[in-house]
Amino acid sequence: MTAPRTLLDDQKPLASRWLRLSVGLGLGNGVLLILQAWLLARIINAVVFDDVGLAKVAPWLWPLLVLFAVRAGIAWASEQSAFRAAAQVKISLRDRLYRHIQAAGPAWMAGQRSGAIAEDLTRGIEAVEAYYSRYLPAMSLTALIPLAILIVVLPLDWLSALIMLVTAPLIPVFMILIGSGVERLNQQLWKELARMGAHFLDVIQGMTTLKLFNASRREAEVIARISDDYRASTMRVLRVAFLTSAVLELFSTLGIAIIAVFIGFRLYQLDLPIPDLIAPPEISFVTGFFILLLAPEFYAPLRNLGTHYHGRMEAIAAAERLVAVMDTELPAPPQQRARLSADSPLHIRFEDVSFSYEPGRPALAGAELEIKPGERVALVGPSGAGKTTVANLLLGFIRPEAGRISIDGEDLNALAIDDWRRRLAWLPQQPRLFQGTIADNIRLGLADASLAEVRQAAERAQAAEFIDRLPRGYETTVGERGAGLSGGQIQRVALARAFLRDARLVILDEATASLDPASEALVQRALDQLAEGRSMLVIAHRLSTVRNADRILVIDGGRIVESGSHAELIERDGPYRQMVRLLEPTAV
Amino acid sequence: MSELIRLWQLFQPYRGWMLGGFAVALITLLANVALMAISGWFITAMAVAGAAGVAMNYFAPAALIRASAIGRTAGRYFERLITHEATLRQLAGLRVWFYRHLEPLAPARLMEYHSADLLTRIRADIDALDNLYVRVLVPVLVALTAGVAFFLFTAIFDLGLAQLLLVMLLIAGVALPWAGHRLGKRPGRRIVEIQAELRQAGIDGTQGLSELLIYGAADSHARHLDALSRALVAEQERMSQLTGIAQAATGLTANLTLWGMLWLGIPLVHDGSLAPPQLAMLALFSLATFEAVAPLPMAFQQLESTLTAARRLFAIVDTEPAVPEPTGPAQQPKDSGLVIEGLRFAYPSKSSLKDHSGTGSSADAGIHADSARERPTLDGIDLELPPGRRVAIVGATGSGKTTLFNLLLRFWAPESGSIRLGGIPIEQFPGEDLRSRIALVSQHTHLFDTSIRENLLIAAPDASQGLLEQACATAQIHDFIAELPEGYDTWVGETGVRLSGGQARRIAIARALLRDAPILLLDEPTEGLDAVTERALMDAVQRLMEGRTVLLITHRPVALAQMDEILVLDQGRVVERGTHGELLKAPIYPRLLGLDLDLDA
Repeated sequence: MTAPRTLLDDQKPLASRWLRLSVGLGLGNGVLLILQAWLLARIINAVVFDDVGLAKVAPWLWPLLVLFAVRAGIAWASEQSAFRAAAQVKISLRDRLYRHIQAAGPAWMAGQRSGAIAEDLTRGIEAVEAYYSRYLPAMSLTALIPLAILIVVLPLDWLSALIMLVTAPLIPVFMILIGSGVERLNQQLWKELARMGAHFLDVIQGMTTLKLFNASRREAEVIARISDDYRASTMRVLRVAFLTSAVLELFSTLGIAIIAVFIGFRLYQLDLPIPDLIAPPEISFVTGFFILLLAPEFYAPLRNLGTHYHGRMEAIAAAERLVAVMDTELPAPPQQRARLSADSPLHIRFEDVSFSYEPGRPALAGAELEIKPGERVALVGPSGAGKTTVANLLLGFIRPEAGRISIDGEDLNALAIDDWRRRLAWLPQQPRLFQGTIADNIRLGLADASLAEVRQAAERAQAAEFIDRLPRGYETTVGERGAGLSGGQIQRVALARAFLRDARLVILDEATASLDPASEALVQRALDQLAEGRSMLVIAHRLSTVRNADRILVIDGGRIVESGSHAELIERDGPYRQMVRLLEPTAV
Repeated sequence: MSELIRLWQLFQPYRGWMLGGFAVALITLLANVALMAISGWFITAMAVAGAAGVAMNYFAPAALIRASAIGRTAGRYFERLITHEATLRQLAGLRVWFYRHLEPLAPARLMEYHSADLLTRIRADIDALDNLYVRVLVPVLVALTAGVAFFLFTAIFDLGLAQLLLVMLLIAGVALPWAGHRLGKRPGRRIVEIQAELRQAGIDGTQGLSELLIYGAADSHARHLDALSRALVAEQERMSQLTGIAQAATGLTANLTLWGMLWLGIPLVHDGSLAPPQLAMLALFSLATFEAVAPLPMAFQQLESTLTAARRLFAIVDTEPAVPEPTGPAQQPKDSGLVIEGLRFAYPSKSSLKDHSGTGSSADAGIHADSARERPTLDGIDLELPPGRRVAIVGATGSGKTTLFNLLLRFWAPESGSIRLGGIPIEQFPGEDLRSRIALVSQHTHLFDTSIRENLLIAAPDASQGLLEQACATAQIHDFIAELPEGYDTWVGETGVRLSGGQARRIAIARALLRDAPILLLDEPTEGLDAVTERALMDAVQRLMEGRTVLLITHRPVALAQMDEILVLDQGRVVERGTHGELLKAPIYPRLLGLDLDLDA
């Protein structure tokens, strides 16, 4: 697995231009700060010891004013470039993450919590910002600014420089010592956060079910518990993080205090509490005051490192989640992206195809089947027999583990998947409507279809009537579960999608299962029309859907066990006849 | 601003924590300012004394420096600890508070909300409120108290210097935050809106991935997400520019104060009314005081995001449930018979609902019960269901079958007509009381992202393992569960995709069995199952129906033949009623069952 750090560092080139600018500006600001401290020290010195008036120090005061203005400008610019450094990374990372999810496909997605993935796409990406806009620039400045101050202080007073030199390295050392523990806690916290998001989404989507069982109030207690657990874990992380900051703060404060006391003692001609071997250098007030002004600035970047280090940890914890997604292996792209000719008849053949979602539990075990051009094939069988797996294989969501699927003699694996899917229309049992208008939803497969084409598709899908009755018609906004549309209506909107596409192979996965017979009959008529001159694979239980098929395949235990027309299969006393007898005794 | 008052009221239970956080924050700030001021004075005084050769007491100030150094370090640690603890406690409380208001709205009032939108509210919007306490409330109180103290302290030395400090503190602490709030309003609101849209696009783009890939819309959805991502960054950049300006301006104000202190103070030293070490002290003191106001501009710049989040929460909290809970004493029905008379109902028309796409601008658009309604879904239904009677309902999509169930469960209130349970109108029962007498098996069962056991326990939290297994055996799922490596602890739900539609349905039936309610509502319980399973499952359903009052929606002739009465619904009216045998000769019933199509078989 890729280390989360590596993911973050791999993005650096995107940020580097702005990062360099940000660090440059920060350093410039530091240099001006030294200048400012020097001017201030001169002014105070002149006033305190030379007893001069305003007129005398005015030549010092005016440049100080200019310096303030310039530093304000630099502070602003530095903030801007730091933001931009992170902005590029965020945009690029979010796009790559989502495209990776798409490439991993629905089969992978089925094993994920979509609430947690949505969390990664939003907050997860936002969390890496601090790494680029705060931590990285701060790291560079932590090295540069104290060094600049040290270079200035050393020739003036080696004793103060020595104190700085001794105390400063202790800060990062302590930080790393404590920090590594926090890092682990923090990664755990991030996982907890993602779990909490997923749990809330689950509760929201299942609230009606909870309510039916009067369990929704009990759920309030669960939410209270989860939130409180989250508080406790967050505080565990924060307590350590704050302790780190406190230690850093203590060191820098102590450093400043020692420097101040040593300067004060020498100015007052007192003996310093240091070995006699070392003769402390003499110091003047102006130098002393100058160094006192610089001392907090020397420790400030080191002290802030604690805060930024926390940002880094959050980014790394988030990056770990991102890496977990982005490290999922993508199905290898086909060696040669073969394309079928435009009028390819689509003769489909499954040759000894096996597949399993989990080791040891094969969903398909050596399935053999064939769909001839223009043929209407129905696939029936008990739940778990492998019907949906056949559909998933044809749709290219999964690939055979053994055996081969061929389309007009070409291996499906070798075909350009987009080109192949363009020839398909698919209607599942619970189709998804997307946030947007009904028209947008019908246009899903053909974004530039005109409204007239959309209407026509809706009419053929028997959806036009109810859509026209809606106050806003095709412009009605719908959401994931159709928001206000009944199951049958959602189904027909989704069917209109299939009509709008001039697909050669139509795959219906228990598509009419939730329709009442009257609506189903309507949809069936539409499907008959759609099937003209096209191949069709119908996965169904209803006899009315299956009966008109050219051929019925009965699947059981991942294998095709029987095949033939309704009439043929009814004659034979096989699994099909048994099924029909159970379902509709009068029909046999 | 009314949101601020409501938020303040919500924070009331945490007053103790808040006061504690404020006190420690104030101490920390004062210690820090003291440290700077005393150090400046100390060095200068030592130098002056050293140069003049006079004696001075350096122990007291050295001790003070030590005390404030420790005070500052310890204070900051405890300040962070207390404020964060307080905030997280508040957020945990607010989440439960929000959930308690959300729950009565389901499902009727939440139909219009995308689940991602609700997720954003319970997660991100509530998190956004922490800004109010840590970044606004505590700093404002600290700045106010400390500002007065700073002014009084400076006034001891010179009133003119004190006035200068006050004016500059007001600029950095009032004028800049006010400007930040004004300018940050629009980007702040947009950031919340775009984040909600982004979350929505994320959920759409993952849960609907199959459709996107097959219909070749995956790339355009990725571009849509990228566009939202860029829009978000653009608004954040606007915000960051404001932050940059605010930070630079605060720094500049602090520096200008120092400069002003020198400009006014140097003549005072010159004419002897201010001791030289005092000037050094006041110079460093004035710089340090700005720590009190420095966080304010950014806090107020982000205040709008916080308020937008608050408004989105209040929009849900203020929505009236579709059916009010009764206030009278609890009623005891004499039996589990149902009587429905003249029931009429129409859903609120969609055009009367504003667009709830999760944007802040629509956050205040609550759903009102009195909004215009569509044509009636139920138009005068009469039905008598004595205890133990079994009635089936058939009808085309949209004929009002499921609506009838929604009214029986009191998810919606009828427009006119009545439903009585055991002689008492159902409006007089608390919702939970009513629903405890009803079990529902529908074609849409939500399996939660947890173990099979937990999913079953929703129906009966105290059920023993034996009871669970018995229910599952009746629902014909026990053998399957027992074969799983982890048995009843197997994870199902969103990540538990290994369950087929039929298996999920059987778990739903097991739940209903565990519920053991006298009234049973079945909404196409065997829909979407294969013939063998369905047949077997019908036996389980039969057992479930025994001794219960049953209302069944189905199109299965097998099931219908065993019902006491069948109602045929069309456009909200009962158009045919009778037994299966009687209705086979009626005009509509056979067509609805598809029986007219199958005669050639």
